[in-house]
Amino acid sequence: MAKQFTDPHEVPKIEGTEGWEKMYPYYYQFSTDDKERCEYESGQLWYYDGLHYPEPHCPFDLIWDEAWYLALSQYNSRIFMVPPAKGIDHRIVNGYVYITPIGIADPKEIEARIPLFMKRAGYYYQNWDKIYDDWVKKTKLLIEELENIEFKPLPEMEDESVVFEHRGMGSGYELGVKYDQLINLGFKVWQYHFEMLNLGYAAYVTFINTANQFFPDIPMATLTKMVSGIDVVMYRPDAELIKLAKLALELKLDDDLAATTSFEALKARLETSQAGRKWLATFEEARYPWFWISTGTGWFHHDKSWNDDLDVPLASIKMHIDSLKAGKDPSRPTEKLIAERDRIVEEYLGLFSNDDDRKAFEEALNISRKVFPYVENHLFYVEHWFHSVFWNKMRELSAVLVAGGMIKDVEDIWYLNRFDIKVLIDDMVRAWATGIVPAGRNKWPAEIEWRKGVMDKFREWTPPPALGVPPEVVTEPFSIVLWGVTTDVLKKWLSGLESATGEVTQLQGSPGSSGTVEGKARVIKKVEDLAALEPGEILVAPTTSPSWAPAFTKIAGCITDVGGPMCHAAIVCREYGLPTVVGTGTGTSVIKTGDLIRIDGDSGLVELL
Amino acid sequence: MEKTVKLEERLTLWYDELKGENFPLVGKKNANLGEMLKAGIPISPGFAITIHANDLFVRESGIKDAMEKLIADECREMNEKNIARLSGFAMAAIEKASLPDYLEKQILDDYHQLCERCGVKDLPVAVRSSGAVSMPGQMETYLNIRGDRDLVDYIRKCWASSYCVEALTYRINREMGALFNIGVGIPKMVNSRVSGVIFTINPLNGDPSKISIDASYGLGEAVVSGLVTPDTYLIDKVTLDTVKFTRGSKEIECVYKPASSDIIEREVDEERRRANSLSPEELRQLCIVSKQIEKYYGKAYDIEFGIDADLEFPDNIIILQVRPESVWNKKKAEKKKSEQPTDAMSMILKQLVTGVRVK
Repeated sequence: MAKQFTDPHEVPKIEGTEGWEKMYPYYYQFSTDDKERCEYESGQLWYYDGLHYPEPHCPFDLIWDEAWYLALSQYNSRIFMVPPAKGIDHRIVNGYVYITPIGIADPKEIEARIPLFMKRAGYYYQNWDKIYDDWVKKTKLLIEELENIEFKPLPEMEDESVVFEHRGMGSGYELGVKYDQLINLGFKVWQYHFEMLNLGYAAYVTFINTANQFFPDIPMATLTKMVSGIDVVMYRPDAELIKLAKLALELKLDDDLAATTSFEALKARLETSQAGRKWLATFEEARYPWFWISTGTGWFHHDKSWNDDLDVPLASIKMHIDSLKAGKDPSRPTEKLIAERDRIVEEYLGLFSNDDDRKAFEEALNISRKVFPYVENHLFYVEHWFHSVFWNKMRELSAVLVAGGMIKDVEDIWYLNRFDIKVLIDDMVRAWATGIVPAGRNKWPAEIEWRKGVMDKFREWTPPPALGVPPEVVTEPFSIVLWGVTTDVLKKWLSGLESATGEVTQLQGSPGSSGTVEGKARVIKKVEDLAALEPGEILVAPTTSPSWAPAFTKIAGCITDVGGPMCHAAIVCREYGLPTVVGTGTGTSVIKTGDLIRIDGDSGLVELL
Repeated sequence: MEKTVKLEERLTLWYDELKGENFPLVGKKNANLGEMLKAGIPISPGFAITIHANDLFVRESGIKDAMEKLIADECREMNEKNIARLSGFAMAAIEKASLPDYLEKQILDDYHQLCERCGVKDLPVAVRSSGAVSMPGQMETYLNIRGDRDLVDYIRKCWASSYCVEALTYRINREMGALFNIGVGIPKMVNSRVSGVIFTINPLNGDPSKISIDASYGLGEAVVSGLVTPDTYLIDKVTLDTVKFTRGSKEIECVYKPASSDIIEREVDEERRRANSLSPEELRQLCIVSKQIEKYYGKAYDIEFGIDADLEFPDNIIILQVRPESVWNKKKAEKKKSEQPTDAMSMILKQLVTGVRVK
C-alpha cells in the first residue's frame, strides 16, 4: 500500500487551465514561495471536501467555503478554546476544495485550555435552550435585513429626494455599500451558523462513542432514532405541501390541479372561483418562509428554491394528492414516531446491569437531545432560507451589472469572485458617474468566457480523495463526525490509489438506513426529473432535500453521492424503513439508470450486479 | 358455567393448562414446560399424563398391593438383592398390565387431538418421564413413538422405568419410599425444517443490545456440531433491525431416517443453499421469543430452536433447550466499577481530548 498521497504542490496541472489560480483568493493557493508554509502544507493530510462539494467551485460560490473557513475555525481555536483543536485550513486545487484539521500537539497547551473550555462551552450547554431561542430570533432579523437590500439599475438622473432630503450621497456609492452589506450579511449568518454547531456536534459525537462503548454493534440509525427530534423544521415545507394537497381535495380542486402542468396556468384557472382563490391564498401563505427550501443543498448558486420555481412544489402536491386518493396518508406519523423513539430508549436503558454505566449513557443521550434541535434546524435557516434569498439578491445585482454593460448575462456573475465583483462595481459606477464607457467592459465578458471553459475542464477532472501525509491515527473529532475521515477510510483511499482503474463493481458509502434491497437503479440528478421514477426503483441522487419528499413513498431504497448519517435522505429513509447508503461520492456517475444494484444500508456497500 | 373437573382429579393436562406450581400433579419437567409457555416461550405442543393417572393405574391393576405385599413379606431389608428383586417384579408387572379403559381412552383422545392439530396421522411424539422430585437421568425418555399401540406401550415402559434398580436405590437411600408415581410428558417430536442456536447477546463482544442467530436446515445437530456453515444474523434487540447478515453455505442437513429415531445426513440442493434459511417473519418471531426468554430468566441466554415443518407460523417456532450464557454473564459479574465520568461536560471534554474513532 502507498504510504502517502500526492504532495499538494505536485498535483498535475490540467492543460488549457493555466492561470486558473486568479479565479480564487490567493490565500486559497498552496504556497510556492514561502518555505515555511510549503513545509507545513506538505506535512499535512488534506482531504477533498466531497461532503459539501460534489462539484468544483464557480469563483463566486466559494463564498460559503470562505464563510465557514473563518467561522468554524475561530469558534474552535479562539472562542471556545476546544482543548486539542485549532481550526480547519482550506485550499483549492483545480476548483476543488481540500481541507485539513489543525490539532494542538503540546499536552501542556491542551491542559491549559481545559478550564477555559469548561467555563466557556459549559455556559453554552447550560443555557442551551435560551441561547437557541435567541439564535432563531437574531437569525430571522438577519434574513429580514437581507430581504431589505434592493439592487436597482443606476439611474440616468438621481431622484429629487437626493436633493430635497439632502441625503448627501448618490447611487454609485450606494451600490458598492449595498454589495458590501450583502457579502457581510452572508459572512455574518455563517458566524451564527457555527455559534452552536461545533458544540452540538461535540455532544453528539460523545453520545455516539458512549453508546458504542456499551453496545459495540449499535447501528448508527438506531442512535439517530434516539436523539432525532420529531418536530423538525426541515419537515415543515413538505408538511405544508401535504396540507395543500388535503385542502385541494377538500375543495374538490384536484381535477384542476391534475389538468395543469405549470403553476402559472393553474393560478389563472383557480382565480376564477372562490374555492380556487381560497386555495391560492393558503398556498401564498405557505410560501414564506417554507418555500425557501432549496431543491439542492443550498451551497451552489444553481440550487433553486421552491419559490424560484413553483412548478416544483406543485408537482409534489400532485404526488401527495395521488397518495391520499390511494388511501395512503403521506403525513409523518408523529405520535407513532415519538412512541417508537421512547420505546427504543427505554429498552436500551433496560439493558444496563450497572447503574453508573446507565447514568453515563443517559447523560450523553440527554445532552445530545438538548443540542439536536439546533443541529437539525439550523440548516433550514442558513443553508436554505438565507442562501435562497441571497442567491436571488445576487441575481438582482447581476442584472444591474448587465444593464451597466459590464457582463453579458445575469448567470455570468458566478464566474467572478467576490473581489472581482467589488472591483467591477467600482469601475462601473465611476464610468456611470463620469458619463463614459467602463474600462473593463470588454475585459470581463472575455474573462468570463475563458473561465467557463476552465470550469468545464475542472468538472471532467476527478479530484483525488486526499493529498499529503496521513497521520498515524485520526483523532480530530470534527473531521470524523462531519466528513467520516477515519484511519480506516484513509487506508481504503490509499489502497484505492494502487488498484488499477477497471470496471467499478462496488461503491462504499456510509450506512444511512438499515436493510438490504436489490432493484433497478434510477439516476435522478434534479428534483424536476422525479416524475420519471417508477415504483420500486432505487433512487440514485447527488443528494436530496425535503423537496424530494414525494419520491420516498415510491422507492425501494436510496443512494446519494454526498451526506452522512444525519443527511436528509438518511433521516427520511429511516422513517420510511428504506435501505439507504449515503456519501458514495460517485454513485450518480458510476451507476446508470436501469442497472441492477444491491444496497446494504447496514454496511454502506453498493454492488453493481 | 362449564362443569370443570378439579386439576387434582385430571388424568391428563395439556402443557398450556400447567403452571410451575403444579409440579406435584405432573412432575417437574412437565410443570416447567407449562411455566415456559406462560412466559411466552413456545415449546413443542403436547400434554402430560398426571401422577394421579399413574396412581390409578397401579392401584386398579393390583400392582400397588402386590408390591406392598412383596415388600412386607419378603423384602423388609432393602439390600442390593432385594432391590433387584423388587425392581424386576415391578417393571415386569407394569409392562404387562392393561391400563384402565377410561385412562387409555383419555390418553388416546388427547393423542388424536394432538395428531389432528399437527395434521399428521400417527404423529411421532416423545414419551418423557417427569418426577415431582428431581432424580436426574434415572428414568427413561423415548423418542419418535408413533401410533396408539406404541404410545400406550411406551407409557408403561416409562412408568416402569421409575422402578429400575438405580431409581429404586436412589429413593431408598433417601428414605423416599419404594413406591413412586411419576408424570409422563407427551410432546410432539419437533420435525425441524430449520434449526439453530441463539445468543441473546453478541457472543463475540458481549454487546447486550444484540441477538445473534445461527440457523441452518434440518435438525439441530448440524449447527451444534459445526457440520455446516449456517446463516448468521446479528439483530438489534430493540429495533429488531438486522445489523449484519452472512449467508452460510449450508451444504448438509440432518434428518430422521424414515420411521426411526436414527439421524442421517443428506445434501442440501443448490437452490436451498442459496436461499435464506429463515423467513423475515420467522426471524422476527425468534427475536421476540428470545427477548422473552432473557426477560423471564433475567440474564443472557443460549437457546436452541427448531422451525417445525408440521406446524403453521407462528406455532412452528419451537424452543428446544435454554441455558444461561456462560462467558459474558461471568465477565459482567466480575466487572469492576467503571472509572469513566458520568456527567455530560466531563464526558464531552474526555471525548474531545481523546478523540475516539467513529464507525
